[in-house]
Amino acid sequence: MTGQANGQPVPGLGGTGRVADELYLIAHHELTGRPHLAPRAVGLGLAGALLAELLLAGAITVAAGAVVADAPGQADDQLTAAVAAQIAAEQTHPVADWLAFVARTAAGAVAVRLARAGYLAPPPRRSWRAARWVPVDPDCAFAPVARLNAALDLSRPGDGQVVALGGLAAACGLGPRLFLYLPPGARARIDALVRLLGPGLGEVIAQTQTAVDAALLAHRI
Amino acid sequence: MSPAQTAQHKPGAVSRALAKDRLGIPAVLFFVLAGVAPLTVAAGVIPTAYATTGLTGIPAAFVVIAVILALFALGYVAMARSIRNAGAFYAFIAAGLGRVAGVAAALVALLAYSFLQVGLYGAFGPNAAALAGAHLGVHAPWWAFALGAWAVVAVLGLLRVEITGRVLGVLLCAELAVIVAQTIGGLARPAGGHLSFTTLSPAALGSAGFGTVGVLAVVAVLGFVGFEQAPVLAEEAKNARRTVPAATYTALGMIAVVYAGASWAMAAHAGTSHVMAAAVAQGPGLLFGLSGSSVLSQAAQWLFLSSLFAAALAFHNATWRYAYALGRENVLPAALGRTGPNNIPRAASLLQSATGLAVITGYALAGAQPMQALFFDLGTTGGLGIMIMLAATSAAVVVFFARDARGEAIWARLIAPALAAVLLAAIVVLAVQHYATLLGVAPGSPAAWVLPGAYAAVAVAGLAWGLILKIRRPQVYAAIGLGAHAFTAQPARRPR
Repeated sequence: MTGQANGQPVPGLGGTGRVADELYLIAHHELTGRPHLAPRAVGLGLAGALLAELLLAGAITVAAGAVVADAPGQADDQLTAAVAAQIAAEQTHPVADWLAFVARTAAGAVAVRLARAGYLAPPPRRSWRAARWVPVDPDCAFAPVARLNAALDLSRPGDGQVVALGGLAAACGLGPRLFLYLPPGARARIDALVRLLGPGLGEVIAQTQTAVDAALLAHRI
Repeated sequence: MSPAQTAQHKPGAVSRALAKDRLGIPAVLFFVLAGVAPLTVAAGVIPTAYATTGLTGIPAAFVVIAVILALFALGYVAMARSIRNAGAFYAFIAAGLGRVAGVAAALVALLAYSFLQVGLYGAFGPNAAALAGAHLGVHAPWWAFALGAWAVVAVLGLLRVEITGRVLGVLLCAELAVIVAQTIGGLARPAGGHLSFTTLSPAALGSAGFGTVGVLAVVAVLGFVGFEQAPVLAEEAKNARRTVPAATYTALGMIAVVYAGASWAMAAHAGTSHVMAAAVAQGPGLLFGLSGSSVLSQAAQWLFLSSLFAAALAFHNATWRYAYALGRENVLPAALGRTGPNNIPRAASLLQSATGLAVITGYALAGAQPMQALFFDLGTTGGLGIMIMLAATSAAVVVFFARDARGEAIWARLIAPALAAVLLAAIVVLAVQHYATLLGVAPGSPAAWVLPGAYAAVAVAGLAWGLILKIRRPQVYAAIGLGAHAFTAQPARRPR
């Protein structure tokens, strides 16, 4: 829940409600903004998350391994609308191609979206090191982990969005970091809940995992 | 869709953008040659092979093996187009000869790459010690330098730092330039003023008895190890049908010319009948002294170290890749298939580092001669393991395409791989029979059967484990050989 102060958006503990925003925050240090993953893994995870947002919004579906834009108009923000438009223009590509394509620019695009919502501050201009977006409020930046924790702790049917977030986080390599904060058995619970997701989300998560593994095995991560 | 959007996202934009990120032939070729580490072979393997085996047919062996490997590569690159996880021999063998054989192959390959990687410390240690003693006034035993290199490789492996393409490219070009310059220098100053071609003639292969063909072939294959790595980048390559084959054949051709030339120059410069004695006396100096230029010799000695180090890192990476892929498939403990912060496959990398530490320490405590007992013995044993993999992979190619030709020409899917399988298998048998000659030990000595026997042991263990997986864990069994694709192949399995 993003608020407003003096006309500027301010971050909230409730988050933006978007999978890619939540994954971006989990994948970066809450104080320094330093990534916990290799760059390509961040990109692939966020690409998976953007596709998951479109799937959850009903803008796209996955049919026989290919991504189909059923209702690109359902995308409700600039970034996902742009992705949906690209998918609508080229419907023949499999999930893996879209992951690789969107991954090229996903990290920067999601960071800009989070900055617009008030969660990230633009990178300070320091020429001697790589520019890095920094969380405005560390508590808000860490909140997605707490939300994941709450969703897994309760023995209730998983919320599709949180489950997709957990599945994608594990798929792009955030498991070891995430499971430090989650209850014992969280890994198995995420695995079980991911299996209950619709075929589209399940496919995107599995393909994200495969793409990250393949990049690692080819030394191109 | 609005006209603006149509114009902005012309069909093919995605494919074009993805193609831009992919690797062309030069990038794949550099990756392959970096693993081959030409100076490591020219200055390390060839002189030690002359000294240890006493055989002079090494130049001819490089030429003959290059032809056999070209036959092998025809089927190999054809099948690489048709399977996933094409970066690993065991994936070919699992797809062609069955998953049980695939598990056995995976363990043999893992052991072979491990031998090759650890063996390199046996060359780095003494050569670094000699250089440091002569030029830096630092005097320490070989194992201190070997452990130093080991520590750096272990740390770089954990940081997943790889020497960047550009650095490797510069080092490689420098290595090749040095070898070519030394070769020309050596050939220009032949012993007795007359350039002899006898060592290049195929007749030289069997000059000390037919069995020695196997010994020479193992040495030659050891030189070529690394040429098989191009399919690792198959999914990253610009043109799946062209890039990998072109890089593989170019690498084969370059290596064959460079090694045959360098080993011929050594024999020509020292004299065919004296090359063994010269190799015993000079070691890597046999190459460095060819041109008679002290500047070139100095440069070559330092480059030799950087080449050994780059090779140790490349094989470290090749080894953890195997262990990691097998961990992902749950064929080996799943912990090997997990990554830590920054997507680093910590357990798989640490496993190889631990092996290296144990071996270096063991050899140091035993007081063994590093260049001979560690570098050459373990290196050639690694070469034998790769040769076993090459033979089995060729057989797998034949069986794979016998089920479905997939539009491949009969030459690539049957004739060439069948010929390669028969020739390589025969060479493996000959090499094992004459392993004592290869190691330069008395026939019947324990090393002559323990080292090749290790492959038989892990192969049997792998077959047994493959059968257990087939019966007890059919889900794991179904994904053997798929590597990164193990998850997508099985909807029931999900990311960890």
